[in-house]
Amino acid sequence: MTRTKIDVGFGDTRTTIEVDLPESEPRPWDARAELAVVGRELPRIDGALKVSGRARYTFDISLPRMLHAAVLRASLPAATIKSISLAKAEKRPGVVGVLALVKPGDRVLFAGQDVAAVAASRPELARDALAYVEVEYEAAPFVVDVVTAAKATAPRVHQGNVAERQTEGDEPGTGRGGTAEGNVRPMPVSQRGNVDAALKKAAVVHEAEYITQVQTHSALETHGIIVAWRGDDAMDVWCSTQGTFSVRDELAQIFGLDPRNVEVVSDYVGGGFGAKFGASAPGTRLGFVAGELARTTGRPVKLMCDRHEEQVCTGNRPDSFQRLRVGVDATGRLVGIHAKSLGTAGIGTGAGIGRNAFGVYTRCPNVRVEASDVFTNCGPATAMRAPGHPQGAFALELALDELAAKAKLDPLRLRIDHDEHPVRRWQAEEGAKRFGWTAARKRSADQRARNTRLRRGVGMAASIWGDFGRGGAAQVTCRIARDGRVTVENGVQDIGTGIGTVMAQVAAEVLLLDPRAITVRIGHTAYGPSVGSGGSTTTSSVTPAVRNAVEKAKIELIAVAAAQLGAKPSQVVWGAGGTVTTAAGKTLSFAALCKKLPAEEILATGSRARTYGHHPASFMGEPMQQIAGVQFAEVEVDTWTGVVRPVRVLAIHDAGRIMNRLTARSQVNGGIILGTSYALLEERVMDRDFGRMLNPNLESYKIAGPRDIPDIEVVLTDVYAGNNSTGAIGIGEPATIPTAAAIACAVFDALGVPVRSLPITPAKVLAALGKVPGKGTPT
Amino acid sequence: MASSTLTRRGLLRGVGTATVVTSCVRKPNDGKSDHPPITNVHTPAEIGPEPTSVSFTLDGKPAIVQVEPRVTLLEALRLDLDVTGPKLVCDRGACGACTVMVDGVPRNACMMLAHDVAGANVTTVAALGTPEALSELQAAFVRHDALQCGFCTSGMLVSCAALLQRRGPTRNKLTAEEVEDAIAGNLCRCGTYPHVVAAVLETAGAPPPTSRRGEA
Ligand code: FES
Ligand code: FES
Repeated sequence: MTRTKIDVGFGDTRTTIEVDLPESEPRPWDARAELAVVGRELPRIDGALKVSGRARYTFDISLPRMLHAAVLRASLPAATIKSISLAKAEKRPGVVGVLALVKPGDRVLFAGQDVAAVAASRPELARDALAYVEVEYEAAPFVVDVVTAAKATAPRVHQGNVAERQTEGDEPGTGRGGTAEGNVRPMPVSQRGNVDAALKKAAVVHEAEYITQVQTHSALETHGIIVAWRGDDAMDVWCSTQGTFSVRDELAQIFGLDPRNVEVVSDYVGGGFGAKFGASAPGTRLGFVAGELARTTGRPVKLMCDRHEEQVCTGNRPDSFQRLRVGVDATGRLVGIHAKSLGTAGIGTGAGIGRNAFGVYTRCPNVRVEASDVFTNCGPATAMRAPGHPQGAFALELALDELAAKAKLDPLRLRIDHDEHPVRRWQAEEGAKRFGWTAARKRSADQRARNTRLRRGVGMAASIWGDFGRGGAAQVTCRIARDGRVTVENGVQDIGTGIGTVMAQVAAEVLLLDPRAITVRIGHTAYGPSVGSGGSTTTSSVTPAVRNAVEKAKIELIAVAAAQLGAKPSQVVWGAGGTVTTAAGKTLSFAALCKKLPAEEILATGSRARTYGHHPASFMGEPMQQIAGVQFAEVEVDTWTGVVRPVRVLAIHDAGRIMNRLTARSQVNGGIILGTSYALLEERVMDRDFGRMLNPNLESYKIAGPRDIPDIEVVLTDVYAGNNSTGAIGIGEPATIPTAAAIACAVFDALGVPVRSLPITPAKVLAALGKVPGKGTPT
Repeated sequence: MASSTLTRRGLLRGVGTATVVTSCVRKPNDGKSDHPPITNVHTPAEIGPEPTSVSFTLDGKPAIVQVEPRVTLLEALRLDLDVTGPKLVCDRGACGACTVMVDGVPRNACMMLAHDVAGANVTTVAALGTPEALSELQAAFVRHDALQCGFCTSGMLVSCAALLQRRGPTRNKLTAEEVEDAIAGNLCRCGTYPHVVAAVLETAGAPPPTSRRGEA
């Protein structure tokens, strides 16, 4: 370790801190580093393949002799299997293999659970054959909604203990729930101070219940996998995944293989949003089914979910019923925040409410956050873009606005005064000016007073996330060949963020080359260990490893140059285009230098060091940067129809040193659009009588289209945290956390009455306005 | 099998093709649809249920497939002809990822049967340009980062290319709203809409969007 001084800061602030760097670590790109390629708006390098329809996703792969599998799913939400027979299905046209996935006596826990599978020459023949699988069920009582399931009298969903399924999409440090009582299983409580005592003494207290819905990931490419065995101890796999190595490990474990004998390819992935880790999905054993059918038939098997299956069994964002209590003292100081939540992750776990209530307004001395999973007979949840956070942010921020209204405080000031994160405070102050906060608030008040039909309103909410970038997890190889070709390789997958493009930028920056001249090879386990694309960790885990690998290769090149030019390595100056020059004026172009390589290729590997700094604020007391962000939203509500139109969102986010402003902006746009969709449109609807999802599709499960979204303005505030050799931090999740909360606050500002339930539908708006008899929300 | 033929086509006709493609147009229908009427359905009176051959022009070249009458155009393209630009996402006309042009009109390939395009001209994203020689529109998509995961992109591009074609010389008058109307049937989960609009307007030579601002 060497103690090194580096410059850190954000905005106009600059400070020098000391960090411990491993011996091999290059000097980090700190606040003072002037970079030419990193940070630029570089179009993604695989863009041309994607816009010409040539990019081959898992869904597009076809192998010789390949079979198509289809899975029969339980039609009942709770039952015991009495009998199952595949004899008739096996004889159907085109069918080559069948597989029972339950046996008599097994329990069905949700409608959609795996029952049997077949493999046939064409997908439609496989699906046809499913109709000939004979299953006898003995129906059992079930429950699909949280409120009923939480009651002592409700049917028990699980009989024994429930194992938590943790993936790389989950926020590190969460999980580890207690034992269930009935269907209710508490998660660890976060608390400081004494919230009950504080709220007892508070001058103004606000208490209410906030409800969020179940949201499905709805990635456009459904979950899918292709397995082709090589002999009986090795396999080639294609998978639509956020973690090639998680696919490898799961399959190796299921089939008892050496992980090195399982090669996983994921060249292009049609979106993930947290649901695509491992060879299977939380509610369906896709990896086992494809692998086993491929084994028994001796042919490659492809198993793609259809949209219905995708909506029902591949994960979702749990719902929440949150009771919030917040209070201020007579001087307007926030004295207590108490959030208590019940939510369902279906038969799975993980219905938490994130870190907002505990972690954002840290000047509030008394906080308690309690959340419990409530088991229901619904498809299991899994991590979804910032698990728990949008739910928690919605309830907390709307409750704070309601409290501010009651106590006659400015909601923006209330937030800034209780937030200790210097970046977020700065973002809030600057954002308010840029957004025209004060004038907009006045206009809303005026429209409310005049009781106009159309009402504008504005709201603001905060984002909190951590720099969970992982040291050592990614190993990147840099190859420089005699013909001058520079390749960087890593097994990481691109789920749409453009990780390959920033890898090229980082390599190009080190060698001062054109990023388009760099060959990037990703999406294959053979290219070296990497992280899953979850938790907003990919860029901050992989780019430092790229830099470190290329720096090592560069040192070797400089040694070659020194020998060629008759100088010491320290006298060789690396210039634009990779041209090397000595003090004596001797020079070699990059191409000429590469020709002189003693071996065919230079091969250097690099990994990322442990996070070394976290200026200016830490996340939950851990030695990692707390990522800050704020969003301001404006809506227009039609008080006659109840329709909410999102007008504009201003998003101000920190993502460390921005690697590529174009693709970073795309990700923030995506977060806001997802959040808007969550706020206003999306909702899984369960049929309480039959226990099935009523809208397992994309026409009645509504996701935002181009006309449903606000105008978006993105401001990326570079923060130099001194965290790793490139300074990268993630942005995927922080960008979606505050959107729904800000929109809900804006609706409250427009109407003067809150809508405390997502999605904010016209019916709920009209009810809040007291326009639906008997359903008003009194203020 | 014949009944499944009827179901798919009946549904399509019942909904109305223009509605399928642009499911939430802005103005009420004034009778002057942006799209010409569909006159190109050439299915013979009775075929199937066994696989029967159907031929059409695909991306400028003759194509022939042997499929059951119930097989959709999308499945025939993807499975039988290995043309995988058009994507299967919802399989029921809700998302537009499978959009292709049939005789110049953008259609959801999952909502048509392969036998419905007998003799017709089918254009997929692949015909717009190759990676080495991208069309102007495709290049603008890349420049504006109008794609993230890219799974919606083929369909988006076909809808946008059809819009530019329809507008011909008046394309430079296109507004952001009109572009949004044209892609109203194309869902994108990654959130590329603002960048798609910017890319199309730039290609059309129309003024950039006044709203849907990018980074300031
Ligand atoms: S797959 Fe055809 S519209 Fe969705
Ligand atoms: S780019 Fe991923 S769905 Fe549109």
